[in-house]
Amino acid sequence: MRRRLVGGLAVLSALVLAAPTAGAEVEPGGWGSYSPGFSVQERGCGDVSDLTFRLTCSTAGGDQRAERRYTTYTSGSRQFEGYFRITSMSGSRISLKQTFNEADGPFFMLAVERGGRLYAVHGGTTVGTGATVGATVRINTVHDVGGTHRTYVNGSLKHTVSGPSGPYYDKFGAYRTDSGAGQITVERSGIRFWRK
Amino acid sequence: MRAVPAALAALVSMLTACGSAGADGPADEGPAGPDLSAELVTPTDIALRWRAGDPAAAAYVVEFATEPGGRYTILEFLPPDRTTFTHPDLIPRTPFYYRVRPVHGPPSSPVEVTMTPVEGAPPGDWTAPRAVPDDRARPERLGAPTNLTAEVVAADGVRFSWTDNATAEAGFLLESRPAGTEEFRVVAVLDPDVNTVGLVTLPEERVAAYRLRAYELGPASNVAHRTTGGP
Repeated sequence: MRRRLVGGLAVLSALVLAAPTAGAEVEPGGWGSYSPGFSVQERGCGDVSDLTFRLTCSTAGGDQRAERRYTTYTSGSRQFEGYFRITSMSGSRISLKQTFNEADGPFFMLAVERGGRLYAVHGGTTVGTGATVGATVRINTVHDVGGTHRTYVNGSLKHTVSGPSGPYYDKFGAYRTDSGAGQITVERSGIRFWRK
Repeated sequence: MRAVPAALAALVSMLTACGSAGADGPADEGPAGPDLSAELVTPTDIALRWRAGDPAAAAYVVEFATEPGGRYTILEFLPPDRTTFTHPDLIPRTPFYYRVRPVHGPPSSPVEVTMTPVEGAPPGDWTAPRAVPDDRARPERLGAPTNLTAEVVAADGVRFSWTDNATAEAGFLLESRPAGTEEFRVVAVLDPDVNTVGLVTLPEERVAAYRLRAYELGPASNVAHRTTGGP
């Protein structure tokens, strides 16, 4: 009986180990994870140290940028997941995440205002009010090239926009928008990509 | 011998719990903490309800993840008498896992701040959290901050300083209560040992009270799980 129990435990243990885990991606169905290449862009007072992105000046002009620019994609669907934590920000209107259309420019842009206390998207729509400075925020974007681009902040749909065909690429970090200014330090983590 | 079916039953129970990760079953059992349940009230809205019952709780945090083992993200800090939260407009066809944790730690005395016209702003990143030497500290495991001061340094900026008396804090929570409102709300989460920080205020904070607490998170509730529907 003891042998049978041990055998049973072994089978069950194997089943435990082999039990399917929930897919890590959201909107599941046919996604495959991948690791696109990227280049680091530091312009003006932008500084990148691994996954910490800083704008160290409060100037309201010029190209102030500390970003990662990921490789171009032209078709299919792409999914991005990442977390940000603004540890300090004295300025406003700093972009944290862009989905960039190579023909038309920043097709989607998630920015922060008022010292990180408001989240806004390209076009000025505010998606978060009274945000908590220093808290970690999760961002998911799902982009069907030639279809819609959906943005989820902490799991909730905050923005949907339709767009043209590609090519596109993802960028994140810290970037002074045309109407923005100010210093910021933002830490990123948990960056993941999927495609289908 | 009677232990054999009991052990198998326990393992089967474990397997059932693992298998339910992608299904809409009842909440999993977990360690002591708030008793949490989750209900899918629309295909993409999940309503949480918990039995709090921690007299030491200064607040509760609601956390979510989309994988069984985390990573958990704080959705909101809620007052201690709140026992419900609705997570709206969720990612479709995706598993959501929730837990609730009490926040412990006494607050400082509040300071009242009235924003006044100020030209310009201090040089450098005046909002950056910093730890500066302060010999007034009276160390205590989760001692409340003392000597909280607030200085208006910009048209929409306040710099706070305090004495850090805590020796085991997870960090500090800066809380705001705009004039005319009843409750303090967490506006900044700060690292341990910080004792000065700047905050850009919102229009509704032209007149507001602020306070600070050194905090730690108490035991988590059970994990409640639902999978959203939708297209």
